[in-house]
Amino acid sequence: MVANVKDKAVIVGVHNTRFTKNSGVSELNLAAQAVKGAIDDAGLKPTDIDGFATFTMDSNDEIEVARAVGTGDMTFWGRSHYGGGAATGSLHQAVMAVSTGMAECVAVFRALNGRSGHRFSDGVSGDIMTADAIHWGWYMPYGLLTPASWVAMFTQRWMHLTGITKDALFEVAHATREYAVNNPNAFFHGRHFDREEYDNARTIADPLQLFDCCQESDGASCVIVTTPERARDLKQPGVAVRGVAQAAAADQEQMTSFYREEFAGIPEMEIAAKNCYEMSGLTPDDIDAAVIYDAFSPIVLWQLEAWNFCGFGESGDFVLDGAMRPDGRLPTNTHGGQLSEAYIHGVNGIVEAARLVRGTSLNQPNKPVNHALVTSGVGIPTGGALLGKLDG
Amino acid sequence: MSDYKTLSCAEVSVGDKLGAVDVDITTGLVVCGALATRDFEPVHHNKAEAQAIGMPDVFMNILTSQGLMTRYATDWSGPEAVVKSIDLQLGAPNVPGMVMTMTGEVTAIDADTGVVDVAVAGENNIWGMHMQGTVQLALPREA
Amino acid sequence: MNADEQKAFEEEIYAFVGREVCPPTPAPDDVNMAMIRQWAEVLGETNPAYLDPAWAQQSARGKTIAPPAMMYVWGQEGFAATRGRAPNAQVDLVETFNRYGYTGVLGTNVKQEYVKEVGPGDNVSMQMVIDNISERKTTSRGTGYFFETLATFTDQAGEVVGTQRFKVLKFIPQEQPAAASSDDGGLEVPTRIASPRGQDNGWWWDAVDEGKVLIQRCKSCQTLRHPPRPMCGECQSMEWDSIESSLDGEVLSYTCLRHPAIPGYPKDPICAVIKLGEGTNIVSNLVGCEYEDVQIGMRVKGKIEQVDEKTLLPQFYPA
Repeated sequence: MVANVKDKAVIVGVHNTRFTKNSGVSELNLAAQAVKGAIDDAGLKPTDIDGFATFTMDSNDEIEVARAVGTGDMTFWGRSHYGGGAATGSLHQAVMAVSTGMAECVAVFRALNGRSGHRFSDGVSGDIMTADAIHWGWYMPYGLLTPASWVAMFTQRWMHLTGITKDALFEVAHATREYAVNNPNAFFHGRHFDREEYDNARTIADPLQLFDCCQESDGASCVIVTTPERARDLKQPGVAVRGVAQAAAADQEQMTSFYREEFAGIPEMEIAAKNCYEMSGLTPDDIDAAVIYDAFSPIVLWQLEAWNFCGFGESGDFVLDGAMRPDGRLPTNTHGGQLSEAYIHGVNGIVEAARLVRGTSLNQPNKPVNHALVTSGVGIPTGGALLGKLDG
Repeated sequence: MSDYKTLSCAEVSVGDKLGAVDVDITTGLVVCGALATRDFEPVHHNKAEAQAIGMPDVFMNILTSQGLMTRYATDWSGPEAVVKSIDLQLGAPNVPGMVMTMTGEVTAIDADTGVVDVAVAGENNIWGMHMQGTVQLALPREA
Repeated sequence: MNADEQKAFEEEIYAFVGREVCPPTPAPDDVNMAMIRQWAEVLGETNPAYLDPAWAQQSARGKTIAPPAMMYVWGQEGFAATRGRAPNAQVDLVETFNRYGYTGVLGTNVKQEYVKEVGPGDNVSMQMVIDNISERKTTSRGTGYFFETLATFTDQAGEVVGTQRFKVLKFIPQEQPAAASSDDGGLEVPTRIASPRGQDNGWWWDAVDEGKVLIQRCKSCQTLRHPPRPMCGECQSMEWDSIESSLDGEVLSYTCLRHPAIPGYPKDPICAVIKLGEGTNIVSNLVGCEYEDVQIGMRVKGKIEQVDEKTLLPQFYPA
């Protein structure tokens, strides 16, 4: 039995800042821009905002963002942990606050100078003594330090067990790249690539090569979540949260769950998927488009399996049949994803998922999107959300 | 005798890349390289002396670096190539435990003289650029 | 230094320009195969132009040559250098710089031009002068002067073999002379990032320092667990001991970390998840094999090794 907050919270405003490799401004500056932009998009006033939700990794204190933007009295703030696992986790916080009445208008944001400031690809360092550092201590001395290295370890085994090849990884990278080509805010706007360029790019951690990895980026994204009653009075069509869930599974580690009976899988996402489907009453057949967290190309494939769009080991054929493409079964990462638009820790994905439902995605395929899926990073405690038209 | 091939001037183009080569910097290479070049400066064979000037360990002498740079160029060109000059800028020291990766690229060709400029860099994995510069080789005009 | 002292100092050093460091001096030994072969062995040189007289005979040159990069080697001072250099103009110049605080020294550029190839039986003479001294420069290492020596090499017939220009920066170190070491972070060789040692894991790493890989065992239900944690997830007992692993294992997955290069780590290290014979999994390095030779399911055997100056780690080899 899952808690049911179906359609009790609605995304009414969305905004991305410009995404760059060197913003030249502070992360607080980026956060303020994103929050203000989303407020404007919703047709709200700054003083209407009474809550914030973000990542534990975000450097911006809510009160600093509140002062910068000039928002109202604050009755809720909540953060979600575990890196990109917090993408829909921060949305989850906002939905809980709005659906219980703890707050009425919550800004979900993430702002980072992920390229010009601290780069995740620099790896963990162990400089700060925490319980978390002890965990990384089982990997750091051997050189297993970077997100790519952790994901590579899962990928190698998963490819071995399923027989899925780089053909499928390339298709994920290529499909999202083709979407980015049309997106002026994407890093790869206007820049096609082909298999030769993909194959010739440097290896990061076998079997992952450069274009299997996301864009480290500077920028911020924000969505505003409010009640259905309030949403109906605002200027944008409301995007209701039909289902939202977070999950960690047994023997979960942060990116290194290598101690399970079989570690080529993401059981935590299977739990989140099951609970989202149950909460929303939807099935995979009801989902028309998706924004699937893509820090690395193979993790999109695992999630297609976890959300039951296909069975274990079938995601390669699923995407090679063109499923992710504009006219495919499940147009996916239509903004270009984090592989090709920008890496804003998945919150730019929530923006795109809301736009898909609104019908304003730049790469909106020629069919109505009644329901869109958006997910968080995997390998860590994770989550996802199913979005649909308010009163639709 | 045909085991050894030498590139001719006609066979190379500006922009040609030389394959990367990794050189393990071992105490053996540093010390024996110093001795083989008759460089008996203590900092190249005596760790305590090297540490006395602030280095963590013995470090490679310049004559060994020059030898590695020309070897890299002529391994690519073949033995009939005549080395005309090497011009190198020195960077971070090579210390045992490091790996120096050498890369190179053809940057100029003088068709009249057959002299080819090869830009060579040796970068170690700890401190970065150890040396970079140019080796000039005179190649046969044709094969 | 005030302006007058500065002027006097510069007059003193610029007076060295043009001075001969050594007159033309024949090398103590002629160019010879023994020294060529030793040089080639150490440098990994296989060029038959230096090493294979039969090949060299039929080559375009028609004779064996010495590696051009050995040009300066022939006249080197030799073992006497371990007892300090005999006085000459360059040594005097360096000491003058040192006396005024320009104690830092850094070779920055060396250029050799080769005019004529020499071979066994030839004799190389070297003459060296102090060719030029720059004006005072501010560099990232500190304020100083570049001086350049010019060496000219000739053979026994007096024909020019080649030249060498060597540029050296003499500078006032920005920090204390000894500051080159660890404090300014500049010159310490990095080692691997160690695990922090806390109450729940320190005992495990302490055992590694003693040459053992231990596996935590619940005293109540005997379940093994790794990585260590304070409570048994099966029976919630907080009583535990440990067993020593035999380090027989099987590769479950692996990857090679190619980019970015990590200071303190070997180039392109292979990491693997290994299922130990005792049943628990461990992450470690695979060594003694190439990435291309690794397979999932491969048997491996581990041992504790010192991997750098500060670090002991379990490392696994193909069994």
